[in-house]
Amino acid sequence: MIRRVLELLDERTGIKKVAQHLLDEPIKGGARWAYVFGSALLGSFMVQAVTGVALMTSYAPSDKTAWASVHFIQFQQAGGWLVRGLHHFGAQAMVILLGAHLAQVALFGAYKKPREVTWWLGLGLMAITLGFALTGYLLPWDQKGFWATRVATNIAGTVPVVGDATQRLLQGGPEYGSLTLTRFYTLHVVVLPALLIGLVAAHVALFRRHGVTPPAKADLSRVDAFFPKQLLKDVVAALVVFAIVLVMAVREHGAPLDAPADPSSDYPARPEWYFLALFQLLKYFHGPLEIVGTVVLPALVGIYFFVLPILDRKDGTALRGRVKPLIPLLVVGLGAVGLTAKARVDDANDATFQTERAKADLRAKASVRLAMDGVPPEGPLVMLARSPEIRGPELFEKHCAACHRLGEHGSEKERSAPVLDGWGTEKWIRDMLHDPDGDERFGRTSYKGEMPSLDVKPSDADESWSPMTASDMDAVAAFLAREGDAPNESPPAESLRADPKRVARGKEIVKARCTACHLFEGAGDDGGQGLAPELSGYGSHAWVRAQIANPSSNATYRESAFSAPEREGLGRQMPRFDGDLSPAEIDLLATWVLERARR
Amino acid sequence: MSSDTRSKSPPPEQAQTTSRRTLALATAAGACALAAAAAGPSLVFALAPLQAQKSSGRWVKTVKLDQLQEGVPRRVAIVDDRKDAWTVERGVELGSVWLVRRGDRVLALSAVCPHLGCSVNAVVTPEGRGGGGGFACPCHTSAFDPGGKRTSGPSPRDLDELETKIDDGHVVVDFRRFRIGIDEKVET
Repeated sequence: MIRRVLELLDERTGIKKVAQHLLDEPIKGGARWAYVFGSALLGSFMVQAVTGVALMTSYAPSDKTAWASVHFIQFQQAGGWLVRGLHHFGAQAMVILLGAHLAQVALFGAYKKPREVTWWLGLGLMAITLGFALTGYLLPWDQKGFWATRVATNIAGTVPVVGDATQRLLQGGPEYGSLTLTRFYTLHVVVLPALLIGLVAAHVALFRRHGVTPPAKADLSRVDAFFPKQLLKDVVAALVVFAIVLVMAVREHGAPLDAPADPSSDYPARPEWYFLALFQLLKYFHGPLEIVGTVVLPALVGIYFFVLPILDRKDGTALRGRVKPLIPLLVVGLGAVGLTAKARVDDANDATFQTERAKADLRAKASVRLAMDGVPPEGPLVMLARSPEIRGPELFEKHCAACHRLGEHGSEKERSAPVLDGWGTEKWIRDMLHDPDGDERFGRTSYKGEMPSLDVKPSDADESWSPMTASDMDAVAAFLAREGDAPNESPPAESLRADPKRVARGKEIVKARCTACHLFEGAGDDGGQGLAPELSGYGSHAWVRAQIANPSSNATYRESAFSAPEREGLGRQMPRFDGDLSPAEIDLLATWVLERARR
Repeated sequence: MSSDTRSKSPPPEQAQTTSRRTLALATAAGACALAAAAAGPSLVFALAPLQAQKSSGRWVKTVKLDQLQEGVPRRVAIVDDRKDAWTVERGVELGSVWLVRRGDRVLALSAVCPHLGCSVNAVVTPEGRGGGGGFACPCHTSAFDPGGKRTSGPSPRDLDELETKIDDGHVVVDFRRFRIGIDEKVET
C-alpha cells in the first residue's frame, strides 16, 4: 500500500531520484566523526526554528509586554519553560558547534582551493548565527538582555563613518525606544532566518559539489555513501547535542529571566558568555584607543578568516605544511579562551560586582514573584513601582534613611531619629513606657527629656508619685499595639493584646492617665503643650501615613510639635513629605515601613 | 552512481546488505527520535489553548434599578477586572448586556448574537422606545422578541439569558459567555 503510494508519487515528482541523489553522496576516505559538526549545526538550527515558531505564538514584542509575555511563557504556559529552555540553550549549543565546525574545517584544510567560496559562505553563516544570538538576547526585555545589547549597539555606533547610521538603523532612532525591540524582533524572526536559509543552501550545495576534505593520510580508495554511514554519525551527534541541551533546560527549569529592563537603574551589565572575550578586550583600550578593542581587533580577526584561503595556497592538506597560516587562528582561539577566563576571574574577585549582582538577583526574584498575579497594561516597571516590597526600600533609602534606621537601611552611627525596628509592637511600647529616652527611641532626638518614665521616679517628683504597675503597663502596651493592627487583623494567640479585657483596661488607662499630655481621639493635653502625639490609631497604617505626609498635624505629632520656638535649634526635625512624595508613594512607604518594623 | 560506490567497499555483498539495513534503520530511528523530541514540547506549547480552563461566571454590579424604565431595553456595560494571559486590568469593559425591567425583577440578555457573535441591537419601533420591538442582529438579520425568543433569521437559538439579582438597589448580573453557532446554550 505505502509502496504503491510512493510509486504513484514518484511517477509524478521523481522524488526517488532526488532522495537517492541526496543520500548516496560518496564520502571519499570514508565516513568520519570529524564531519558531524556541520550536520549537527543544521540539526540544532531546525530545533531552534521549531521552538522559535512555538515561542512566537506567545511572545509579544513591545517594551510593555515583552517581559510579561516571557514571564508567562516561563511560568504559566504549558510546556513554556521547556520550549524556552531548549531555545535558550540550543542557541548556545550552536555557538559552540560553530567553533568546533570552524576548527575542524581549518585543521583539515577544507578551506583550500577550490573550496574558498564554501569557506566564505561559512564565515557569513557564522556572522548570521552571532547576529541571532545578539538579537535574541534582547527579546525578553530583561535587565540582562537590555544592558548587554545596549552596550553592543553603542559599540556599533563607535565604528568610523558608518557607525552612527548602523546604530540608528538597529535601534530605530538615536535612542532606545519602542522601535528598538520591534526591529530586533524582525531581524531575529524574519531577516536573519531568510539569510541563513539562503546561505546554508549555497554552502551545502557547494560542499556537495566539492565533497569532503579527508585528512592527508586518509585511504582514498575507501568510499562510503552518505546514507547510512555518515548520516548515522550525524544523527547520533545531533541527538547527543540535543540531549545536552535538554538536560541543561531541565536543570535550569527553562532559562533565566532577570528583572524587567529599567533604563534608570544601575545594573552590572555583562554579555552572554560567548561575547565575554570581546567584553574583556574593551577594558584594555581607553580614550582614543578604544576603537582598537571595539572595532580594529575584531575586524582584523574577520579579515584574517577571510583571507586564510589566499594565504594558504601550497598544495596538500597536511597540517605540518600549514602551521604558519594557522598561527593567527591559534592566537585568536587561545586569546578568546584567555580573555573569557580573565573576565570570569575578575568578576569572581570583584566584591562590588558580586554585591550588585546579588542585588539584581533579589530584584529579579521579587519581580518574577510579583508577576505571578499578572502584569498591569502599563507594563512591568509600573508593577514594580506599585509594589511596597520593591519600591518601599528605595523610597526609605532616599527620604528616611538620613535620620532613621530600619533594618539594614540607614546608618546607626549617623542616625538622629528613632530606630524603627519593632516600632509600635508590644515590646517597643513597654520599653517606651519604661525608658522613653533610650538611645533607640528619643535618646538622640529633640524629644529627649520630654516624656517621663512611668515606672522610674523622676528626681523632681513629689510624694504623690507612684510607679505604674507591670500589669498596667502590659495593658497599655496591649491596647496601643492593638490600635496599630489592621481593622480585620486578629492578634497572635500568645500576644498581650490577644486578651480583649486587657486591651479594654489599657484603653481606660490611656484615656485617664496619658491624656494629661497626649491627645486621644482629638481630646486631651490638659496643659496645652501641644507636644505629645495622638494615641488613637497609634501605629496603624493611617497614623503612619499621616505622620509621613505631615508630622505637624493633630493627626499624629501635633501642629506645634516641630515648630514651637523652644524646640527650634535642637537638631533635625521631621519634615513633611506630602510635597516630595505622591499620596500613592506615601501610602506604599507606610505599608512597607509598618511591615518591616513589625516583622 | 550508488552501486558504483558500494562496490568499492571491501566487505562481501551479503554482510554489506545486512549491515546497511541495520544502519539505515538506526539512522531513521535516530532521526525520528530527534524530530519527536524537538517537536513534542513545541506542540504541547502551541496546543496549550486547547486545554485552557473554562471561564466561570461572575456577579457584576451594573446600574441602579431606578434607572431602568419598565419594559424598555437598555444596554449596559459590564465593568470588572480582567486577567488575560499575562495582563491584569482593573475596571475594564468586558462586554455588554441588555437589561429589561419587569417590575421588581430584571431580565438580562447577553448582547452576543448566538448565530456568529455579532452584537445585537434593540429594535426601535415607530411607536417609540417603549414599543417593545425586541432585538435584531445587524449582521445576518436574526430577530428576537422583547423576551429574547428567536422570531426569524439564522440564529440557532434564543438570546442567552443571564441570571440577575437586585442588591442594595443595584442590578447585579451573572456575566457569562456561551458557545456561538450551536443549538444548545453551553458556556465557553
